Amino acid sequence: MKSLLDFLKGKWLGHPLHPILAHVPMAMWPGALIFDLLSQCQIGGNAMVRLSLYAIAFGLAAALLAAPTGLVDWSGIKKEKPAWKIGLYHMSLNLIATALFAVNLALRWQTFREASEVDRIPLLLSAAGTLILIGSAYLGGRMVYEYGISVARMSKKKWRKLAAAGAANLPPE
Amino acid sequence: MLKDLLEGKPLRHPIHPMLVHFPIGFLVLSFLLDLVSLAFPEVPGLLRGSFYAMLLGIIAALLAAVPGIVDYSEIRRDHPGKVVATRHMILNLMVVAIYGINLWIRSSALSDPKISLLPFLLSIIGIGLLSVSGYLGGRLVYDDGIAVGRHKRHTPTPQGTLHLSTGHATKDGETTFVPIPEAEQLGNGETLRVEIDKLVMTIARIDNQLYAFQEFCTHRFGPLSEGSLHGFNVQCPWHNSCFDVRTGKVTNGPAKVDLKTFKIEKRDGKVGVLVTKDHDQKT
Repeated sequence: MKSLLDFLKGKWLGHPLHPILAHVPMAMWPGALIFDLLSQCQIGGNAMVRLSLYAIAFGLAAALLAAPTGLVDWSGIKKEKPAWKIGLYHMSLNLIATALFAVNLALRWQTFREASEVDRIPLLLSAAGTLILIGSAYLGGRMVYEYGISVARMSKKKWRKLAAAGAANLPPE
Repeated sequence: MLKDLLEGKPLRHPIHPMLVHFPIGFLVLSFLLDLVSLAFPEVPGLLRGSFYAMLLGIIAALLAAVPGIVDYSEIRRDHPGKVVATRHMILNLMVVAIYGINLWIRSSALSDPKISLLPFLLSIIGIGLLSVSGYLGGRLVYDDGIAVGRHKRHTPTPQGTLHLSTGHATKDGETTFVPIPEAEQLGNGETLRVEIDKLVMTIARIDNQLYAFQEFCTHRFGPLSEGSLHGFNVQCPWHNSCFDVRTGKVTNGPAKVDLKTFKIEKRDGKVGVLVTKDHDQKT
């Protein structure tokens, strides 16, 4: 069990996994919105309709992989810390965005092979999902850049050495 | 100010790591569509889609480069992350160049059922370099804390470390006065990073008064010379531990251990710091 948790935290890679995997939906879903808009402007034809569907599907696959890694990172935060609550909002928004894009994918599944432009309802779903995702990603970024979640978690030894060489007071190991 | 804007200070979040999602995502998507075209050449529009994704990826990469360069310029010259950041930047430039060529080569064959060898090879190389570069970029944040908590600081951070010495004659246990002329030019809310015979400290000016304390936070050893000053407290940029600069006492966790502090004095019209040489910090 512990080795699975360590795997999900990215210890084997020396880099947390969640922010790596999160790149994919974070690019694919706003990308799908861009492709939908281009398609509505009669740019790209059926290739653009298909591209948008591929982007949504690829984003969904990566989001499902990113979820357990995010959950593990979040479970390492103490409940009384402000980052815990932000993580909870981040997770809830991600669940909503993922559900919206899953519905979105289902709606366009029947027509994407022939359609030369994306319908209005899937386009609106792409827009709503993207907005929610951007809010959620901002919160995820705040956890790192404001509260230092996962920062110096795996490099603690390296920095301890530098601090020791700099004759600093150190906490007990 | 434009620089603050590109660093994302008004958003309280750096801009470069926000934008890099797009080149990474789109270029990976383009590669996947190439792969699919090899496996299922009967599916129409794959190479056209791959081309659009690549074009969007390159545009996004160029946009991300601008705040990236600003973030790079903010890293202290002697920071261990600086070398990593240089490699990250060089790899990214290579990636953009390779994808530029790739895009140009494939633009004439958008209706092909499957990707031809040369652009496919270029995509493999591009994705390989991009993965390494993205990994290094992540290490800059998660190992070296680059840009973490930077928006909390409103004055410029030190661009290097001032290297000084107590002199060779100093014996163990002896207290020496080391003049630091640079400290006199320090504005309120500004800091210096100083190393005296391996002892690394921050010198900060608060309310026209100078204070000296150890550079490394006692939690995960974040750089206090890049921290923000609130009253007589210094806040670590990484996990927000606070210390009283006058006593070194922890005023807010997660740190539990107090900082070393050093006395600032004025002797013969010169400002300097008093350091006691001990066995731990022999040169």
